[in-house]
Amino acid sequence: MIDPSRDLRDACAIVGAGHSRLGRVPSVSSLDLLVEAMRNAITDSGMSVQDIDGIVCRGPDDIYSHHQQIGARLGINVKFSTSLDNGGASQILAVAIAAMAIKAGMATTVICGYGRDSWSRTHSSEEARVKNQTTPDDQLPKEFAPEYGYFGAVAAHAFGATRHMHLYGTTREQFGAIAVACREHALRNPDAQMKKPLNMAQYHEAPQIVAPFGLYDCSLRSDGAGAVIVTSRERARDLKQPPVLIKGFGSYNNLRGWFADDNMVTTAAKKSGEIAYGMAGLGPDDVDCAQIYDCFTYMVLTQLEDYGFCKKGEGGDFVASGALRMGGRLPTNTSGGQLSEAHVEGMLQVVEGARQMRHTYPAERQVKDAEIALVSGHGGNQVCHSTLILGRA
Amino acid sequence: MNEPARAKAAKPLPKPAPESVPYWEAAKQHRLELPKCNACGKFWFPPSQSCPHCLAADFAFTPVSGRGKVFSFVTFHRVYHPAFAGEVPYVVALVELDEGPRLLSNVVGVTPDKVTCEMPVQVVFDDVAADVAVPKFKPV
Ligand SMILES: [Zn+2]
Repeated sequence: MIDPSRDLRDACAIVGAGHSRLGRVPSVSSLDLLVEAMRNAITDSGMSVQDIDGIVCRGPDDIYSHHQQIGARLGINVKFSTSLDNGGASQILAVAIAAMAIKAGMATTVICGYGRDSWSRTHSSEEARVKNQTTPDDQLPKEFAPEYGYFGAVAAHAFGATRHMHLYGTTREQFGAIAVACREHALRNPDAQMKKPLNMAQYHEAPQIVAPFGLYDCSLRSDGAGAVIVTSRERARDLKQPPVLIKGFGSYNNLRGWFADDNMVTTAAKKSGEIAYGMAGLGPDDVDCAQIYDCFTYMVLTQLEDYGFCKKGEGGDFVASGALRMGGRLPTNTSGGQLSEAHVEGMLQVVEGARQMRHTYPAERQVKDAEIALVSGHGGNQVCHSTLILGRA
Repeated sequence: MNEPARAKAAKPLPKPAPESVPYWEAAKQHRLELPKCNACGKFWFPPSQSCPHCLAADFAFTPVSGRGKVFSFVTFHRVYHPAFAGEVPYVVALVELDEGPRLLSNVVGVTPDKVTCEMPVQVVFDDVAADVAVPKFKPV
């Protein structure tokens, strides 16, 4: 039996990270965007594509055997290869599976990534713009939803926000602090999709989408991709970049559903985080920066509680204190997150977590003296969750 | 001649999965019936062929009170489907029935600003087509 804290903590490292063009990238398929990010990650690592012997990836969920199509474009055969199906939780799971595969001797060097064409999909026609839907029609609910005018991820997550506001008195002003902090970070990131400042007055004045969410509570529609390369700690020593240690990971899945139990308010981040902290031998007080899956502002707030950065119900005060800004208690989504950098289903947050651990950013983007980064992934009908804890070697 | 420039879009009708057919048949007759387990006695929703509480496959669609409370809700301002253009803002709520299961539905007969979590509600049926009635909820 493998004991994660003994056998997997610090066993592997991220040795390359890359992203593609982000935002509006018309006329480029999601597959090519992912290959672009993977090429950048390979160049970053100083390795050759021939050094890769594993692929764990994901794209729009309508692409069959996605990893095979990526391998074809990379021009390689590999030992270990698969695509994942846990929504936004998949991308961290890919890194975890890579580490496990390496530990099990199934591969030595695994490339992980995710690419999408969501801006293009939602802007291909007027009908597409109205539907604002990235999921293929045949994967949508056929009953108990459309007849009520219930469409989309905004509404699903807004249910959690309403419940949290009811139970704990959380306010839109507090959600706004998350949107504003992410935008501040994005303005320091030249590749971010959003380029203009956002203040609290603008947050409040923006149109409502599905209340309690307004425009700036919602993440972006983006074309884009991210990728990282995972190898053993031993191999990492000889490579170009300062290795970023994979200290802990965990997943948890509230498969009974988003609407079941208290899952909208205490998410699977809680148990996923406990597993990852256990493997890493760390706790929330050890974490210096966080990259939290921010499909919507509220999801950052509730996950920060679930990860133990504050008590359940106190997330509103925590985010309103300025904790998420540079120089705050827990600089969060330091590249701008999905709210302001680009929504690539958590993959860019893995990339950013790794980059923060290298200390190669200019001072204005670097979380000072950061030794530990926590990254979260959330998806799969809102209940699949994964957590990654990275550290400086 | 008097046809509007754009044909009025129809709201989507539920397309029942095989396991949901009895639910919609009952709704058509303005009865709210959910699967109830003959082994453990609990109700569940959405319909499926085995009880998610105890995994027994012995169950029957059984009437419920139609009473419950709003567990949570959202208000649509954005139009995602042209048939709802004249409806916004409208409330979609998660209603927790007295019998336990939670149903997604609309809260009707009240303006959105009056809807709250824990608000008591009662089922009403909206005959949306000749042979389809959709359960909705109004404040008690
Ligand atoms: Zn049962």
